[in-house]
Amino acid sequence: MSVYADQQGIDAIFSDYERTRRTLMDQKSAGLNITIFFCQQLDPNQDVNRRALERELGKRIRFFPLPCSGRIDSLHVMRALEAGADKVYVVTCPEGACHYREGNVRAKKRIAYTQGLIEEIGLERERLELIVAPAGAPVTVDELARAILARKASIGPSPVRGKQA
Amino acid sequence: MITAERKPLSEIKEMLAPYKKILVVGCGSCVAECASGGEKEVGLLSSALRMDAKASGNEIEVKEMTLDRQCVYEFIDQLTDVIGQYDIILSLACGAGVQAVAEVFPKVHIVPALNTTFLGETKEAGLWIENCRGCGDCKLGVFAAVCPVTRCAKGLFNGPCGGSRTDRCEVDPDVPCAWQLIVSRLQDRGRLDLLRKVHPPADWSKQQGKGPRKIYREDQRA
Repeated sequence: MSVYADQQGIDAIFSDYERTRRTLMDQKSAGLNITIFFCQQLDPNQDVNRRALERELGKRIRFFPLPCSGRIDSLHVMRALEAGADKVYVVTCPEGACHYREGNVRAKKRIAYTQGLIEEIGLERERLELIVAPAGAPVTVDELARAILARKASIGPSPVRGKQA
Repeated sequence: MITAERKPLSEIKEMLAPYKKILVVGCGSCVAECASGGEKEVGLLSSALRMDAKASGNEIEVKEMTLDRQCVYEFIDQLTDVIGQYDIILSLACGAGVQAVAEVFPKVHIVPALNTTFLGETKEAGLWIENCRGCGDCKLGVFAAVCPVTRCAKGLFNGPCGGSRTDRCEVDPDVPCAWQLIVSRLQDRGRLDLLRKVHPPADWSKQQGKGPRKIYREDQRA
């Protein structure tokens, strides 16, 4: 089974970023806690660019910059889900464009493995999703996150979170 | 190195079912190297158990700890001060480690999270292969450091079976023919003469049939 979900949807949203800005952030309104691990090579100014979205959504969104998406580990994802994330995204560079050659390929393998782990405890594999940043146009991490959040939420709150915040 | 694989979560949960306070104990040696029982795997399994319990409305306490080795008393002793706080120990050690901890704490429930598999080598990242059966009668010196007991599907001591195809084993084409390796290595070393000797059947009594094996060395004892 593919580790990707609706990659075309992401590309389509990026192709019309202004429309995205006007779109109600569906996942925000659904009250989901989102965790985004991303390759910081994607956006040299990620530290500044993600702040506005963090201020806007508060605890509902958590960003974790990685030196390369190949640094992602199953344990990062499991701890994020355990800490209350309803949905975890791992954002990689386009295939063939990894700064360290094959970090994004490794990330893809680890996502597939981790999806198996979370299925084993009865969670939907969709709670973890790999997003490949679009090739070509440079992106900022906040644009990327808004594009992700603008998609219709395919899952509800995690049963692990229960009635916590 | 002893290799192992994690049991399915359903089997682990079944063993833990009656217990509420669980200590998950990893081992930082062999099973850490084969990515099945080290500190990271302890974290993964503990997170999975906690999330599974939360999602199904069960209240359990799962704590994590990793010893450098679970098969040596000096390291097992680190459990002494904490083990009384738990109902059960879930060990991510090999079978030897699980039993060693159980010997030290005979009144404590201890269950394995791993299936211990074989003595192996880390061939490459993410690939471990068996290359020693621990037969107790090592002949690697004669066979150019290729074990025919383990690496030949037929365990042959006196030459190849003749069924190999382009240096691959006929039983499993993913595996190189052990005898092809033995002959080509000895040829490279100019020691084909070692193969002139006919080897009698192995003495399997050194491996099995007498209960658990023991190594006793007076010079190593206190």
